[in-house]
Amino acid sequence: MAFNLTRRKFLQTATLAAASVPLANVVTAQAGVAKSPFTPSGTMADKTMVGGICEMCFWRCQLVGKVRGNKLMKLEGNPKSIDNGQSICARGNAGVQLLYDRDRLKYPMKNVGQRGAPKWKRISWDEALDTCAKKLKATEQKFGAKGICMFPHGASAKYPMQYLEHTVGTPNVSEASFFQCRGIRDTAFLATIGTPPGENVDMANAKVIFGLGCHFGENVHVSHTKRYLKGLENGAKLIIVDPRFSASAAKADEWVAVKPGTDTALMLGMMNYIIQQGKHNKAFIDKHGIGFAEFKESIAEWTIEKTAQTCDVPADQIKRVADLLADNAPNVSIHPGRHVSWHGNDFQRQRSLGCMMGLLGAMGVKGSFVKGKGPKGVGKVGWPKGEHHVEAMHVAAGIYPYSPPGTPTDLIRDAAITGAPYPIKSCVIWGQNPIQTIPNQQKTIDMLKQMDFVMCVDVMPTDITMYADILLPEASYLERYDFIKTGTQWDLSGKQQQYISARMPMVMADFERKDQVYITNEIAKRMGYGDKIPVSALPEMVDMQLAGAGLSIAKLIAEDGIHLQPGIDPYGVADDLLVYFNNAEIADYGYPASPTYIAVEEVPAGHFRLLYGRSPVHTFNRTQNNVWLHHAMPENPVWINDEMAKELSLVNGDRVYCVNSEGVKSRNTTIVKVTPGIRKDCVYMAHGYGTKNPAMSVGAGAGIDDQALITILAVDPETGCHGMRNNFVKLVKA
Amino acid sequence: MQYGMVIDIKKCVGCHACTIACKAEWEVPADKDRNWVHRLGPDNTPHGLASTYYPGLCNHCNEPACVPVCPADIIQKTFTDKKSGKTKTLEVAATYKDPFNGTVQIDKERCLGCGACADACPYNARYVNENQINEELGSEGTADKCTYCMPRVEMGLEPACVQTCLARARIFGDLDDPNSEVSRYKKMGAKSLSSVNVNIGSNGLYYGNKRDMALLTATSTPQVMPEANMRRILMAKMKPGFNKAKKLGMLGLVGAVAMKGMKEDKE
Ligand code: SF4
Ligand code: SF4
Ligand code: SF4
Repeated sequence: MAFNLTRRKFLQTATLAAASVPLANVVTAQAGVAKSPFTPSGTMADKTMVGGICEMCFWRCQLVGKVRGNKLMKLEGNPKSIDNGQSICARGNAGVQLLYDRDRLKYPMKNVGQRGAPKWKRISWDEALDTCAKKLKATEQKFGAKGICMFPHGASAKYPMQYLEHTVGTPNVSEASFFQCRGIRDTAFLATIGTPPGENVDMANAKVIFGLGCHFGENVHVSHTKRYLKGLENGAKLIIVDPRFSASAAKADEWVAVKPGTDTALMLGMMNYIIQQGKHNKAFIDKHGIGFAEFKESIAEWTIEKTAQTCDVPADQIKRVADLLADNAPNVSIHPGRHVSWHGNDFQRQRSLGCMMGLLGAMGVKGSFVKGKGPKGVGKVGWPKGEHHVEAMHVAAGIYPYSPPGTPTDLIRDAAITGAPYPIKSCVIWGQNPIQTIPNQQKTIDMLKQMDFVMCVDVMPTDITMYADILLPEASYLERYDFIKTGTQWDLSGKQQQYISARMPMVMADFERKDQVYITNEIAKRMGYGDKIPVSALPEMVDMQLAGAGLSIAKLIAEDGIHLQPGIDPYGVADDLLVYFNNAEIADYGYPASPTYIAVEEVPAGHFRLLYGRSPVHTFNRTQNNVWLHHAMPENPVWINDEMAKELSLVNGDRVYCVNSEGVKSRNTTIVKVTPGIRKDCVYMAHGYGTKNPAMSVGAGAGIDDQALITILAVDPETGCHGMRNNFVKLVKA
Repeated sequence: MQYGMVIDIKKCVGCHACTIACKAEWEVPADKDRNWVHRLGPDNTPHGLASTYYPGLCNHCNEPACVPVCPADIIQKTFTDKKSGKTKTLEVAATYKDPFNGTVQIDKERCLGCGACADACPYNARYVNENQINEELGSEGTADKCTYCMPRVEMGLEPACVQTCLARARIFGDLDDPNSEVSRYKKMGAKSLSSVNVNIGSNGLYYGNKRDMALLTATSTPQVMPEANMRRILMAKMKPGFNKAKKLGMLGLVGAVAMKGMKEDKE
């Protein structure tokens, strides 16, 4: 493969030419390839740009771009990658359509209409930056830094987030990736095994893979899915606990159709049974366990019978699954999950998963929980911490002791709406779409309506951008430097290698799009923090970070975008590893020290519990306007059990609205999918559909926005994170 | 040599990457597909509850239904075997089966864009690409479909869908070579989606466990051969003439009505 080694030159000389080259005009000189102007040439002879790092999702696979003229034609996995290899997923492939989406934000805009019913006027960058800085400064001066809140998401939001948190000094930052997703997992595992687990299970070498709500296949992260499939190919038994016959359940040896919300009980019942059978790993527990006796006693009530009844799972199956785990221990992958903010009882469930790892000794050995040993040395560059330190609201109030970093979302919303404990009057939204991310949309709207100032930075006109006063167009992940990605070969048992790569642009940013360093620095200068600016431009930041590992952008380009070096065997259990089966510190805060099942509200008569999950062609709500992805799955059918459908006279393909138990009706309709593959007490739909912003010409009106139906708030008491599966809906024929 | 593709639905996770990679590689219009993934089930089968995928594409059939219906002028076309350098001359219309590698291809310069081949394919593997208009022939587009990525394969690359598949669920190779991976799958029981009425030697083969295969074959095997639309074929044969006439302003009312009918037929 001919890599392009003159990237810098290309980037310097590339012009901002129009994005679309009409197909028929593309003439290629490649003999034997293109035969006529009606035959597309393929991208084989196009220039290869190295150093791409995908951000269609957070997994960040390594890419090369195929560039014709100034146009990016195609993205592929970087052949040098030891992570994703040449594979990328549907969304990764569709990055081209995000880049050239005609609805993308192009110029700085000022809202001359209402928040929520915007009228946009194009303004200059100078005017936009002046306004942002003036308004944020006014809030800072009147209410203190804590009067500003931020909702960030993605690699580009890190730099401005640090500016606001460290230098300006507001604690009111709420990342959806923590508070509506994985934060609970990370802090629960910290309190159990002393480390956030990531998705680090060695599935490729496991004898059993155990997933609680994991729907690999619908949820695709390339190297992660590769590990899972390699495990299955090697004969691993697969156990999937899910109320729905998911993509993974369809490949499973055991599908445990658990009653939603009772997963913790299932875990406790299985662990109690394993202990009763004497099949727990006594040597491991003796060496690494803390509080095992208390734990054992605390879960003794969870007999197989009680568990079967609580979870609505056959007793035989519970035994079978527990035996399968115990008999194959320790080479068992207990998957820690990722999106775990389900029912408001989630910290305890996540603790129970960590305890199961400990019970089986499924840590550090082949096929179990194992963290790869990635390269060291990549440096940090960031905004300096200011002098005045403001305590976050939950810290000051002594609540949510296991909150992930930042401030729990509802504390920010409530403070903004009520003015207590203090007013929050400016809101910075960077890459996040809180409307479709955070439950109870009306509350988010109320919060925004009372602000003195709202600014959004994004690539697309998402729902939240309708509430901005100033809307700034950002360079996408294909048009900028930034993220440093490091790691090891995807199969932990393979040849031990490490990699270091850094995101590099595939093409120049078009129109008036700017990157996060430019935008943040310009605002900082205007707010009087110019002397605190850590770097003047993105490439400079990346070079400073890489220097710590003896690398630079130029060196990485010369190495086809990825630096490889010998790695370290990741297996082995550290002598000082501790597994807190019973954690007294949690009791000190007033919560159960041993994992405990807390029942959730039952489904009201005539309703179904609303479950949501991933579609393989969408990431959160970020990709719904992508024409290629939209065409692959244009709406999100609502799954309903076949017997329930019969009772309700619903047939496949019927068009319905969803109405929740608080009377909120979905804006759009979708089609019914009648299947025996879901429990009778719930319905399911893929998340990430139904944007209400008409500026999203592809996604608007397509499918149902599940978030609009999630109005009942459940907050996990230990962490302050949201649970989003405690809402109930009816299906109403359209 | 007969190129073929096996899809191992035991491995496939239904991620749709294959369909999107193809769109990028060959500039396929957003609403058309050279390959597709249909999500099947969950549904009951005689072997238990199943949910799987139908990743489909042109099967480069041994007796392709799409080839004989092509109304374009017959020409003599000389094919060259890439390996041996041997040549063979055949009489072909605008779409044909390559005698050396077994793929079914389209001569874009001569395609009338009438869509007769698309109608004739029982697998729905063809479409008319309206971005590719041959003004000389007065076409409204040209027929398009999967080429098994021959231009890539000739350069030693994998087909775009195969390369991007994280599951390695798509296996491409020579079914005439008994030692190839695709032949190995065939021996293990990989099957085409064929029925009593649709049995045209599809070289797209599927492999999976009993329940997934039961669901795939029950939902996705074509049961009837589409009727080739004779009227359309006839009209298409006349079309170049019509267009010349139209350009010269000689069509008249009757001709204009005929043209309109032709268009509606297509919709
Ligand atoms: S898993 Fe897909 S979307 Fe996520 S980074 Fe990789 S290619 Fe991109
Ligand atoms: S890319 Fe592979 S795994 Fe994904 S849908 Fe296509 S065949 Fe299946
Ligand atoms: S699948 Fe259809 S288009 Fe392809 S060769 Fe067979 S009949 Fe022709």
